Amino acid sequence: MANLNIDSAKERTFDAIVIGSGISGGWAAKELTDKGLKVLMLERGRDVKHIKDYPTTNMYPWEFKHRGVLPMAVQEANPIVNRCYAFGESAAHFFVKDNEHPYVQTKPFDWIRGYQVGGKSLLWARQTQRWSEFDFEGPARDGFAVDWPIRYQDIAPWYSHVEKFAGISGNKDGIAELPDGEFLPAFPLNAVEEYFRKHVKVNYQNRHVISARCAHLSKPNQIHLDQGRAQCQERTICERGCPFGGYFSSNASTIPWALKSGNLTIRPFSVVESIIYDEKKGKASGVRIVDTNTKKTEEFYSRIIFVNAAALNTNLILLNSKSHRFPNGLGNDSGVLGKFVAFHNYSAHIGAEVEGFEEWATDGRNPAGGGYIPRFRNVYKQETDFLRGYACGFSAYRGFKHSYDGFGEDFKAGLASKEYGPWRVGSHMMGETIPKETNFVKLDDSKKDAWGVPLLDISVDYDDNDEKMKKDYIEQLTEMFTSAGFKNIQPSTNHQAPGLDIHEMGGVRMGKDPKTSMLNKWNQLHACTNVFVTDGASMTSTSCQNPSLTYMALTARAVDHAVSESKKGNV
Amino acid sequence: MDRRTAIRNLALVLSSAAILPACTKDNPTAHFKHFDVTGDQEALIADLAETIIPKTTTPGAKDLNLDKFVWLMLDDCTKKEDQQAFFKGMDKFNDLTKKMYSKSFADCSKTEKAAILATFEKKPGAKPTGRNPSGKKDDKPEKKDELQAFYGTVKGLTVFGYTQSQYFMTKEIVYELVPGRYNAHFPVKNNMKA
Ligand SMILES: Cc1cc2nc3c(=O)[nH]c(=O)nc-3n(C[C@H](O)[C@H](O)[C@H](O)COP(=O)(O)OP(=O)(O)OC[C@H]3O[C@@H](n4cnc5c(N)ncnc54)[C@H](O)[C@@H]3O)c2cc1C
Ligand code: SF4
Repeated sequence: MANLNIDSAKERTFDAIVIGSGISGGWAAKELTDKGLKVLMLERGRDVKHIKDYPTTNMYPWEFKHRGVLPMAVQEANPIVNRCYAFGESAAHFFVKDNEHPYVQTKPFDWIRGYQVGGKSLLWARQTQRWSEFDFEGPARDGFAVDWPIRYQDIAPWYSHVEKFAGISGNKDGIAELPDGEFLPAFPLNAVEEYFRKHVKVNYQNRHVISARCAHLSKPNQIHLDQGRAQCQERTICERGCPFGGYFSSNASTIPWALKSGNLTIRPFSVVESIIYDEKKGKASGVRIVDTNTKKTEEFYSRIIFVNAAALNTNLILLNSKSHRFPNGLGNDSGVLGKFVAFHNYSAHIGAEVEGFEEWATDGRNPAGGGYIPRFRNVYKQETDFLRGYACGFSAYRGFKHSYDGFGEDFKAGLASKEYGPWRVGSHMMGETIPKETNFVKLDDSKKDAWGVPLLDISVDYDDNDEKMKKDYIEQLTEMFTSAGFKNIQPSTNHQAPGLDIHEMGGVRMGKDPKTSMLNKWNQLHACTNVFVTDGASMTSTSCQNPSLTYMALTARAVDHAVSESKKGNV
Repeated sequence: MDRRTAIRNLALVLSSAAILPACTKDNPTAHFKHFDVTGDQEALIADLAETIIPKTTTPGAKDLNLDKFVWLMLDDCTKKEDQQAFFKGMDKFNDLTKKMYSKSFADCSKTEKAAILATFEKKPGAKPTGRNPSGKKDDKPEKKDELQAFYGTVKGLTVFGYTQSQYFMTKEIVYELVPGRYNAHFPVKNNMKA
C-alpha cells in the first residue's frame, strides 16, 4: 500500500481524496468507494491493521509489566496526554506523545490525538447519541453562534444510514430531545440505575434516565457479520482495539469494507501539508503531502476532496492552504476560519452512597458504561440565566467488600472476599459550550514541525456561561440524588483544561451566509465547492451529546451530495 | 515514534533486567535505573511484603515475587521525590525496629514483626498509598510523613501486585478475558464471606 509506483500525474490522480482515516474519514472512504469512485485516503500516521496491529488486545492484566501503570518517565515526558484516562500501559501506543507533535498553547488546551490509520476511532468511549431538533435550531432560537443551515430532518435519514452499518445499541426511549435511532438491543440498567430511572420519571417532568447508547454489537445483524465483525464479548478493554470488531472503529468496519470494493488506496505516513487551489479552474485540484519517511513532498490530484483530519487539524490544513486567491487560508473569504471553536465542559462530578438493594449486584462488565441523562435544561424554553444545557452520565456500581486495613493471614483472605459492599452511584456533567470568536486557532509561522508545517496555536477557554452551567449541574444533581434518598453526596469540580473532553469542534463552521461561515448546508466550502469538511471542524454549535455519530451522518450525507453533483458536472 | 523515544523505550526494557540476587549484606547488590539497593534493603522489603501477604495454604509474597514487583514499580513508576522519601522512610523504619526490639526487622520474630506493623495500622490513613489497587491514576496522594509513606507504599504496591498477579486472578478470583459477560441483575443469595 505504501509503495505506490507514482511517476506520472495520471498515477497520482484519483476520483476523490480523503484526508484522515479516523471516524469521519473512514466513512468518507466507505461511501465514496461504495459509489464506485477511486479513492485515495491519506493518513499521516502508520498503518494499523484490524486485529494484527492490536498488540495488547489479548493480554491478561498480569502480563503488563507494570500492571497497566505507565513508567514515570513516560508520564513525565507526556504531561498533556497523560491526563487522558485511557492513556495507560495497554493503549499508550495509540496516542500521540507530547514531544512528537508539539503545538502552541496560548491558553491551556489538552489536545488529545491519535495519529494512525483509524485515528481516534480505536480509542473512543463509543457513546453515541443523535443530536435533536433543539440542537440544530438552538443558535437561531437562543441567539448564539449563527443559524445552522440544516435541521434535524435533513440529517435524520443519514443517522439511520450510519447507525445500521456501525451498530448502535440502545432503547427506543421516545424522548424528543434525544431522538431514537436504529438500535440493536440496549445494555440493561442495573438495579440501582433502574431505581433512579423510575424515581426520576415519577418525580421530574422532562427528565429521563436511560441506558447509555453506544457503538457496540450487542446482537449483530447480517450487515455487521458481512463486515467480518462479531458480537461484543463484554470485555471492556476496547481502547486496545477489539479483535471481534465488537465496537465500531474505522479499522474494523468502514476501512476494510472500502478496501473490499477494490476502489480504495490507503497511503499512511503522508502528512497533508495543504490543499492545492487551481486559480484557472476556480477549484481545488489536489493536495500536497510530506512523506514522513522520506520527508519528500508529493502531490496527488482529484475532483473531490474530503477533509477529515479531526477538527483542529482540519483547521490547520485549511489555514495552511494559502494561494493568491485565498491568502488567509482556503475558502476563507469571511475571515472566520479558525474561529468559533467550542468544546464540551466535563469538569464536574458527583458521587454518593446508596442504602439497600442488597439482593442485587452486577456480574461482568457493561460496555455501555451504565445510564445517560439527556439534557433537561432550557430545552423547551429558556429557564436559567445560562445558555444551553448539559447531559449527564449516570451509573451505579457495587464491588466486593475488601478492607485495606491490616495485614497478615486474615487480611490476605479478605482480599479475595466475595462479600458485596454497598452500592455507589456516580455522575459526570457533559456541558455544551458556546462558540465564540475569541475562541480560535491560528498558525504560528515562526515554529514548524518536523515536516515543515507551521504549528497550531490554540486559544480556547471557558467563560461565565460554563461556570453557571457547572453550578447548576451540581445543584440539580444534588437535588435529584437527595430526593432519591442517596447518602453522603459528594460533588466535585475540577479545572481541567478544554480539550480533555476530546470533543473539540468548530473553526470551519457551516452556515447559511458565506460572510459568517465557511461551509454550506452540504459541508462544501462556500468559496471552493469541491472541498468538503465533514469532521468536527464543521460544527456550527456543539450540542451536549457526544459528537462522533453526527460526524458520521454528515459525512455520508455530504458524500451523497458530492457524488450526485459530480455526476451533474457541478463539482 | 522518533528515534529518541525508541532509544528511551529500549532503555526501559533493558534496565528492568537489573535486579540481581543479594550477595553481601551492605554493598549495593541490585542496580536499578534510579537507585542502588543493598542486600539488607532487599531483605527488608521481602520480609515486609511477606508479613503483609504471608504464605498460608496458598502462596505468599515471596513465592509470588511481590518484593521484586515493589522495587520495579518504585524504580519505574514513581516520582523521584517519592523515591527519595521512600529511602528516608526506610531508614526511619529501621530506626524504629531497632528502638522497639534492638534488632533488624529481618531478625524479628513473627509476633514482633506484626507488632511493628500494627503501629502503622493504628495511625489514620494506613490505607495503601501510591498506586491504589485498581491501578487508577492517583491525582492527589495524601501527604504523610516519610515513615508512614514508606509503609503505605510498600503495602500499596504489595497488595496491587498481589491482586493483579496471575495466581490471584486465576485461582482466587477468576478474571475472564473472553467471553466476558454482563448480567445487570445478579441476585445475591447469601452475602457471606467466601
Ligand atoms: C479516549 C477517548 C474517548 C472518546 N469518547 C467518545 C465518545 O464516547 N463518543 C464520541 O462521540 N466521541 C468520543 N471521542 C471522540 C472521538 O474519538 C472523535 O470525535 C472522533 O474520532 C473524531 O473523528 P475524526 O474523523 O474527526 O478524527 P480522528 O478519528 O481523530 O481521525 C483523524 C485522522 O486524521 C489524521 N490526520 C490528522 N492530520 C492529518 C494530516 N495533516 N494529514 C493526514 N492525516 C492527518 C490523523 O492521524 C487521524 O488518523 C473520544 C476520544 C477519545 C480519545
Ligand atoms: S467490550 Fe466488546 S467491543 Fe470492547 S473489547 Fe470487548 S468485545 Fe470488543
